Amino acid sequence: MPTGAAIAPRPFAPPRARLRVWPLIPLLLVALLPVLPGVNNYILAVTVRALIFIALGQAWNIVAGIGGLLSLGHGVFLGLGCYVTGILFNDLGVPPWLGVPAGMVVACLVALVMGGMTLRMRGVFFALATVAVSLACDQLARHYVDLTGGDNGLALTFLGTSLWAMQSRSPAPFVYAGLVFVVAFYWITRFILASRFGLEMRAVRDDEVAAAASGVRVFRTKLLGFMISAAMTALAGGLYMQYYQAIDPESAFGLGQAIQLQLPALIGGLGTAAGPILGGALMTVLSEATNWGSTKLGLVGVDILVYGLVLLLVVLWAPGGIVGMLRRR
Amino acid sequence: MDLLVPIAQALLSGVLVGGVYGLLSIGFSLAFGVMRIVNFAHGDLVMYGMYAGVVSAGLGIDPLTIIPISFLLMALLGAAQYMLVFRRFVGRATLQQLLAAIGLGLVLQMLAQIVFGADTRSAPSMFSMRFVTIGPLFVSAAQVVACAIAVLATIGVELLLLRTRWGKAVRAVADDIETAEIVGLSSQAINISAFALACGLAGIAGTVMVTYYPTDPSKGLLLMPIAIIATTIGGLGSIRGSFLGGVFCGVVQQFTAMLWSSALQDVPLYILLLFFIAYRPTGMFGLRTE
Repeated sequence: MPTGAAIAPRPFAPPRARLRVWPLIPLLLVALLPVLPGVNNYILAVTVRALIFIALGQAWNIVAGIGGLLSLGHGVFLGLGCYVTGILFNDLGVPPWLGVPAGMVVACLVALVMGGMTLRMRGVFFALATVAVSLACDQLARHYVDLTGGDNGLALTFLGTSLWAMQSRSPAPFVYAGLVFVVAFYWITRFILASRFGLEMRAVRDDEVAAAASGVRVFRTKLLGFMISAAMTALAGGLYMQYYQAIDPESAFGLGQAIQLQLPALIGGLGTAAGPILGGALMTVLSEATNWGSTKLGLVGVDILVYGLVLLLVVLWAPGGIVGMLRRR
Repeated sequence: MDLLVPIAQALLSGVLVGGVYGLLSIGFSLAFGVMRIVNFAHGDLVMYGMYAGVVSAGLGIDPLTIIPISFLLMALLGAAQYMLVFRRFVGRATLQQLLAAIGLGLVLQMLAQIVFGADTRSAPSMFSMRFVTIGPLFVSAAQVVACAIAVLATIGVELLLLRTRWGKAVRAVADDIETAEIVGLSSQAINISAFALACGLAGIAGTVMVTYYPTDPSKGLLLMPIAIIATTIGGLGSIRGSFLGGVFCGVVQQFTAMLWSSALQDVPLYILLLFFIAYRPTGMFGLRTE
């Protein structure tokens, strides 16, 4: 990204004009997966996991990739999406069709308060504050057992396959739901990248002072980007909750989860629309392979070791991720 | 009177726990103050210091006697980390630097889990299981010893930075790396030694802490927020500020545990951190940065 972006914007082609055929092939393949012969539930389950992982990565990419703000607390929004949906459904019988938007609203409000307090400061402080908020949520979720189920987590009441409750015994419907999320988030990312707002976010990321001097309202841009990303994460969190049917404090607010949320965008290419998709797909394959390998070896935690190594290697030697490597050729 | 005793008890326990928090925070603060490196793997070095104590206790050696070895080992590990990872990020705490430190921390944590297992391990010293009573107040001897060592180490670091030639060079490099190079200092050598010192302090903190606080591989990550909060409240880059910030964290934890719930003892700290970042980002004693 040239640093002069704020002054001389690259001419952006509208998204539709750049539509190519090759991205449609994996799309069609995933869409046909449930009806292809020889595809078992394991493959479908891994596909859904990958799609959810990608959608969460796309949401994080908005704030970190386009906006350059290192949020280590996106687990908070994932957790809010899951817990709000789950608590409304279990305790009040509110279907996820209303529960998920409620989760998004709550996530947006939390992002407004968090961002409002910390986004005027330098990036490091924002990153540290997001860590603090996730850990506070973790302790609160563990303590208020009546509401959240405490350490054991919250399991959705299972009603059998039902569209009203967004539940299904087979993973096939979730393949389509996940696909809709990934494609929609991809177009949202493309739209933001091509819009004036996206240009302002990238200008702020590359040089805050220069952006402010060119008339960008820096604080407002950062806050809005953070809130959009939080709402998208909570939305994907709704899908997460409906698919896994359960959430617990560790997988919502733990730092391990916060780090996993960053991997698709980092590995695929920060700030690009295609990056989280490529990175998420690669990471899922890698994590399935290491899980299989480490069960054979009888070791626990190898997958997280691999995550850490990949994170380190990408940051040190391939900061542009897969997309960056492809572009250099 | 019956209200005064629990308050004094919480204050005393808080100060004793907090002294060690202070020691683990000053290393974190030193790396930031000198090199602008936010080392998220600092907690994992504390965890390795704790395991050094576990190993020595397993060999029948009192953990407190291996403090110098633990310091040297972590200092070496720190120097290696600096050369492999952090060297290229000196002077700018960027998104990439934070991510690299997080990746490094995950690798260290999982290596510990593979080597030592995920079980909780403890390492009693000759002071563990002994207690001191001061009137109605009651404290563990291991905590008193740990806090004393933490205070001594902090004073040592302050003297090293303020009274020695090396400390002067470190402060010069922290202030202005280019001018320091012009007057003939090797910023590379000074940064390595300062980073190694910061990591060695993490080793000491871990080894004294394990005499009263059992460890497992996730302890490093759990202690990290304390170091962050203590350092932010005290002022990023200020040694005595970070130490006092650590003491303050310990006291707040004890009072929260007494008044609210010990499971939520860190929540007020996180809220305090948010308020400090929003309204007083230089902390109580901080450097004015940029």
